[in-house]
Amino acid sequence: MEEKGSLKVSPGEAVGVVAAQSIGEPGTQMILRSFHAAGISSLITTKGLPRIIEIVDARKRPKFPMMHVVLEDSVAKKYESVRAIWRKIEEVKVSSVLRSFSEDLRSQTMTLELDREKLASYEITAHQVASKLEKREATEVSQDDNIIRVKIKSKDMKSARTAFVHIRNASIIGVAGITKALVQQDEAGVFFITTAGSNIADVMMIDGVDKWHIYSNDIFEVMRVYGIEAARTLIAHELYETMSDEGFTVSFRHPSLVADTMTYTGSIKSIGRHGVAGEKESVFARAAYEETVKHFTNAGVFGEKDMLKGVAENILIGKQIGVGTGMVRLAIKKDELKKVKAKE
Amino acid sequence: MQAEGIDYIRFTIVSPETIKKMSVAKLIVPDTYNEDGYPIDGGLVDQRLGVIDPGLKCKTCGGRAKTCPGHFGHIELVRPVIHPEFAKTIYLLLQSTCRQCHRVLLSEEQITELRPAIKSYVSEEDEEREAIVPTDQQQMQQQVMDEGSKAVLLKKIRSVKKCPHCSAQQAKIKLERPTYFYADGNRIKPDEIRDWMQKISDEDLEPLGMDKTATRPEWLVLTTLMVPPVNVRPSITLESGERSEDDLTHKLVDIMRINQRLEQDIDAGAPQIIIDDLWELLQYQVTTYFNNETPGVPVARHRSTRPLKTLAQRLKGKEGRLRYNLSGKRVNFSARTVISSDASLTINQVGIPRRIAENLTVPFYVTLWNMEHAKALLMRNEYPMVINVISREGIRKRVADTNREELIKALAQGFVLERQLVDGDIALFNRQPTLHRLSIMAHTVKVLPGRTMRLHVSVAFPYNADFDGDEMNLHVPQSIEAQAEARYLMQPKDMILSPRDGRTVMFTEEDEIAGAYFLTKDDAYFTKDEACLMLSSIGINELPKAAKNGAYSGKSIFSMLLPKGMDFDEDVKGNHMVIKNGELKEGIIDAKLIGLGGTLIQHIFSHYGSDAAMYFILNSAKLSLRVLLMEGVTISIRDYYNTEFVNNERVRIIDEVTQKAALLLEKYRNKQLEALPGYTRKETFETETLVALEEARALASKTLEKVLDRSNMAYLMVLVHARGSVLNLVQTSMFLGQQAVRGKRPSRGYAGRTLPYFKRNDRSPLARGFIRSSFFDGLSPVEFYMHAMGARDSGMTKSLVTAVSGYLQRRLINALQDLYVDENLSVKDASGALIQTIYGGDGIDPMQEQVAKEKRK
Repeated sequence: MEEKGSLKVSPGEAVGVVAAQSIGEPGTQMILRSFHAAGISSLITTKGLPRIIEIVDARKRPKFPMMHVVLEDSVAKKYESVRAIWRKIEEVKVSSVLRSFSEDLRSQTMTLELDREKLASYEITAHQVASKLEKREATEVSQDDNIIRVKIKSKDMKSARTAFVHIRNASIIGVAGITKALVQQDEAGVFFITTAGSNIADVMMIDGVDKWHIYSNDIFEVMRVYGIEAARTLIAHELYETMSDEGFTVSFRHPSLVADTMTYTGSIKSIGRHGVAGEKESVFARAAYEETVKHFTNAGVFGEKDMLKGVAENILIGKQIGVGTGMVRLAIKKDELKKVKAKE
Repeated sequence: MQAEGIDYIRFTIVSPETIKKMSVAKLIVPDTYNEDGYPIDGGLVDQRLGVIDPGLKCKTCGGRAKTCPGHFGHIELVRPVIHPEFAKTIYLLLQSTCRQCHRVLLSEEQITELRPAIKSYVSEEDEEREAIVPTDQQQMQQQVMDEGSKAVLLKKIRSVKKCPHCSAQQAKIKLERPTYFYADGNRIKPDEIRDWMQKISDEDLEPLGMDKTATRPEWLVLTTLMVPPVNVRPSITLESGERSEDDLTHKLVDIMRINQRLEQDIDAGAPQIIIDDLWELLQYQVTTYFNNETPGVPVARHRSTRPLKTLAQRLKGKEGRLRYNLSGKRVNFSARTVISSDASLTINQVGIPRRIAENLTVPFYVTLWNMEHAKALLMRNEYPMVINVISREGIRKRVADTNREELIKALAQGFVLERQLVDGDIALFNRQPTLHRLSIMAHTVKVLPGRTMRLHVSVAFPYNADFDGDEMNLHVPQSIEAQAEARYLMQPKDMILSPRDGRTVMFTEEDEIAGAYFLTKDDAYFTKDEACLMLSSIGINELPKAAKNGAYSGKSIFSMLLPKGMDFDEDVKGNHMVIKNGELKEGIIDAKLIGLGGTLIQHIFSHYGSDAAMYFILNSAKLSLRVLLMEGVTISIRDYYNTEFVNNERVRIIDEVTQKAALLLEKYRNKQLEALPGYTRKETFETETLVALEEARALASKTLEKVLDRSNMAYLMVLVHARGSVLNLVQTSMFLGQQAVRGKRPSRGYAGRTLPYFKRNDRSPLARGFIRSSFFDGLSPVEFYMHAMGARDSGMTKSLVTAVSGYLQRRLINALQDLYVDENLSVKDASGALIQTIYGGDGIDPMQEQVAKEKRK
């Protein structure tokens, strides 16, 4: 069979532009609404164009952080032990087991009436709640069945008021920041846990959790816990997944090139004015993008030089750009030239 | 033509001395023309600054309006004024130097410690240095590089209360926008600031990250103002003969007026308050001269209350000098008109109207060897003729009947003839928005009668073009290099695979797919006459082997298009395709194979090359259409007429989802519905109801899929992916289903309801946009209204998405445009930074990705 051409990229190919176009062009056809609730069983996440913008902007925290927790083989198939782990993950706050409460600012006491049914559903006791609250500073807790009285030792009413709020928001069990966790099962019968909210570092510490297979969509958190390489992979993967969820196939090279440009310095930089595009070496490239005057004045003060190597600068001054066929230069061997000339 | 010999461009601040050296005139009169309409000497349009009137001569260079490049002048300001754009830099300098000895607020040790860090930051020779500097300095160095020298230094210096050199107590400096400075609450005037700046030594600039050869701090406080040449700010003469000056000239007049008054008052010994007021006014005028959008400053306006466009406004933004004039190039040798389709063209061709071909030209380089041809060309006085002759000296002469003989006589080597566009020339074809590299491709010209540019329908998809009035642009590359590049790299036939995912983007569509089905379905047999007719229409003059009964099977006819000896075996969703030795043995050709992302086209492209793939697309399209001409696909109202079973199902499905919704409503009303995390109960109810009601369509689709078969032409088209979807069928024959506004059920309009027809807080499906009627039955007025709401919402969303995604595209391209693949397949950016060691981890061209995958198997 006759084979045509090479499968390799041609040197000079402007792969950056191709990547940008491959991600940007389908954008017009993507949905703008950030989430589409698909019933009770799954968690809400950002999707489509808003998610792509969220990733590319390098937002410090996704709008809907989420985790996929894989469990160790020894427990992954036993529902009971998985449930026990689940109970350690989902955060239960005082407010979610409250039936009613009253605040007395004068005596600085708060009376909490706990809901028996709710306590039972989370499998916690009123005593657990009380002992958790006892650990807080400057509080005095007394418990009588499902009634808990908390006395706050603070100087003024205002701080007592804020303390009341804090008590209602105090967490009893679970990992901070995990508002909801769901136990799910795959085709092979293996259980795993998905969560709304992300806290890798704490979930990792729970026995039975497979430390090597926690997935989170929070890029900065992944960088803090697992390092920049993991963050790079996550950016590429999330971009890829977001696009394929919308039905757009894209070669993995494109999102991974975007991810590499965002992370090759060792920290996560956003695409745009405050990141990659705003930190270019060339004054002209920056000025032609956004904040023209700022870049020119600063360049003057610091005596910056524009070496005119990038694409934007060369378009500006009317020279051939340095990528693609514009990259090719011809060199002449001077001695050979002399020989030719001598012949003539 | 290229600008050569620019190695780099460096930015510095212009010193007052340089301004004076550059200046050809000191301007003293705050006016432009005298009563006779003649420029005033020493005025703002002084003839030494260059001329714009065609009659006058420049007093500096002697040039006329067209030849004089313009010359700078200057204004001496009586009192120094802060340059508004540098206020922040001045603030920084005031904060980081001592108020008494004007040294940097860093001890000698700190400076020496910093020096290598700063130097490496500036000159980027860090690799060599790293080995020499001790660890703590390395840390500092790292910090400086991470956060930028300014940030680190400022943090350090702000905490210094006492000067480490003269131990003077430091004042708290405040900058009040835009240009007022205070030390411990007392105003520091620009002249004092200038003195302060002057006393900062060159050595102390270095630890601040400033370059002494570029900037002396005192230059940031203006004493001399550079005046741009007149041709930068030309005045316009209106029809009435009245002159209208440029905004910059207006502003300069204002500055000079205040400057003059200030000078007079100072000379006359006016009270300090009056002088200060005028000084402040001068500051205002200068501020708005540089940037009329400075925050905290009232906008300077024209007499007509239009805000003046001053220096910063000229550069900034989409319509500014940089993005509009410098990045946005304008071209000649281009055309634009409406497009229409032409099935006789190849995807590689573009049909050009004669009128356009006559106007566009291509250079013809006259050499020793083509002289005769050149002369013959020049002789012609009708269509493919020469329009201009460019001599070796570069003088362009238009060819006319009167001078033709003369031009032929003068013709010599090195001349360039500009001849009209003819068949076979290459031209770039483009449709906006240019989101893609596939939005500009190089087509071969085919001159045709008519007034529209024509392209083959199969190439409309990558351009995202249709023929309902779309216009497209054509560019004729002029240099030989550009033409070669277009031919080798940009032809549509070489772009059949998308660089996004390596899938087919030029393919057959709609009717062509339906035709292919009729051609290749298992019981398709054609008579000899029919087979001859079909094959000769695509220029094939042979017949395939006939079947036993003397007829020709459709599969064997289709096999005539396949390359000799081709093998292909693929299973696409139950349709098992077998091609052996160039013969279609099994399977029906459908959209999965020759439509968008079609694997058969892709296979031919990667194994038999671009020409084979192109002709396969063109021929299979033509052949299919020929079959469709004989078979015919007719859809009629009968295809949408429901059987009793479907009608019953329809009622059942609607009842089912309505009941589900009613159940949810009851649960919600009884407060039994548990809220989803992060949502209120109301929101939970709404989303769950929406999900329940939207299920109706899915259920209806299943019913139709069960009931319908290939005898229903509308469904047949869905099955072979020619056109339409099951949802279209559901909506025409069963019901429209749930309408959505902003992803929710319609709810707004009147208090607690969508229409006054309903009771308040009616949350039933009907009141919230569930449509039970089909397009066949027609919609009730209420349903029609709901449908219109949904339609308007999707129209609005669409226009919003284009804006958002357009900006995303611009940002992405700006961030990634400098990346390229180096010789060793690594990816680098303009500064030489290594982004990827091997592109994509394997160096494979994304266009060839599917091929690579196939090979790996």
